[in-house]
Amino acid sequence: MKTVPRSGADSASLSSLANLPVALDAMGGDLGPLEMVAGAGDATRAHGIPVLLVGRSGDLGDTAGADVLACTEVIGMQEDPVRAVRQKKDSSVVRAAEAVRDRRACAFVSAGSTGAALAAATLRLGRIPGAVRPAVVAPLPVPGRVPHVLVDAGANVECPAGLLVQLARMGSVFSAVRYSVSSPRVALLSNGEESSKGTPEIREAHRQLLETPGINFIGNIEGREILDGDYDVVVTDGFTGNVVLKLLEGTLRFFMRSLLNAFGSSPEVQEAARVLLPALTPLADEMDPEATGGAMLLGVDGVCVISHGSSTRKAIMNAIRVAHEMVDLDLVARIKESIEPGHR
Amino acid sequence: MHLEAELGSASVSREEVLDLVRGQLAEILEIEPEKIKETSSFTEDLEADSLALIELVEALEEELGEKVTGFHIADEDIEDLVTVRDAVDYVVEKLEAS
Repeated sequence: MKTVPRSGADSASLSSLANLPVALDAMGGDLGPLEMVAGAGDATRAHGIPVLLVGRSGDLGDTAGADVLACTEVIGMQEDPVRAVRQKKDSSVVRAAEAVRDRRACAFVSAGSTGAALAAATLRLGRIPGAVRPAVVAPLPVPGRVPHVLVDAGANVECPAGLLVQLARMGSVFSAVRYSVSSPRVALLSNGEESSKGTPEIREAHRQLLETPGINFIGNIEGREILDGDYDVVVTDGFTGNVVLKLLEGTLRFFMRSLLNAFGSSPEVQEAARVLLPALTPLADEMDPEATGGAMLLGVDGVCVISHGSSTRKAIMNAIRVAHEMVDLDLVARIKESIEPGHR
Repeated sequence: MHLEAELGSASVSREEVLDLVRGQLAEILEIEPEKIKETSSFTEDLEADSLALIELVEALEEELGEKVTGFHIADEDIEDLVTVRDAVDYVVEKLEAS
């Protein structure tokens, strides 16, 4: 195990940022540090991305030569995230964020507490000037098409209209940069297509979005259109967005399980399933949330990917890959250009 | 209450502390400093959440820590800071005591 010092800013220039490792909060995740370390190893082997493991050295097992940034504390899922980040300065998620701040890593990934990752990123990386609040953007896989983009998927429980407009702007940049969508179509999630539908915040956001230049606003969509609607970015508050995300994941999992049960219901159906499964398996792979690896935190001055607590090594490998791709695409600079005062 | 806290060779007046709090808060919340009154409540008037308050606390610690070694705002005191005036009074008292 190669340990690296905790402090001491690297002199890496912005142009060489992508050559730096991705810092992984190896203590986050329900499956434990060994699963995180395995995912890091897979990312290095499969994609050639170096990983800086951040965690308690004794918990990490065989790190297969990866650099380790040792820390002594862990922030649990049940802790108040903001208070914990302030108090546990030697925790894995705080140290991982500091590694990005100090240019010792190009990005960080955490499968621990979302709130703690959000707080650590905000306090250690800082917000982009003009970003009222950071927000979580999640890709929603759509078979045969580039993913839809959901923003906010959990950072801001309540969103006033002005913040919803900013989310629309950041989500639009994400869709354009990440998926090469030209002039992404932005929709507002509501309980009806008419501009008169929705909460006061949604109605006001609708009005403001119509008047905001640079955003291709196409109006409201309803929940049933989230997967197959004709749009690229859907904007909602973090409470609704998180419920939507978990509902979709749960529904897909339930549907797949029900389908597999149905396939075993009789010998005739089993025979038919043998014919169907080769066609269905790629579809299941495409819809697999683990393939996307995690959600991006937008609005902070660095790349941060937040993964599910239940992430397996596959999800962590993909989260590291996505984080590295975001650095390569210079996403943070593009977000800055779109929301910094003077650029709007 | 003293109107000016002596900090070795440096001194910080209450007005300067107010300006500092107002400036940092305006930057964090992306609002005009003029909208921040001494009587403004952080949560009700300025819609600052717990993360924004910690951003403010850490910014004040960094700024004032350059003038007073070890300047620190105790976590257990943060929840007592309801208004901008509470925060300014608290900081001035801490500076005077240092």
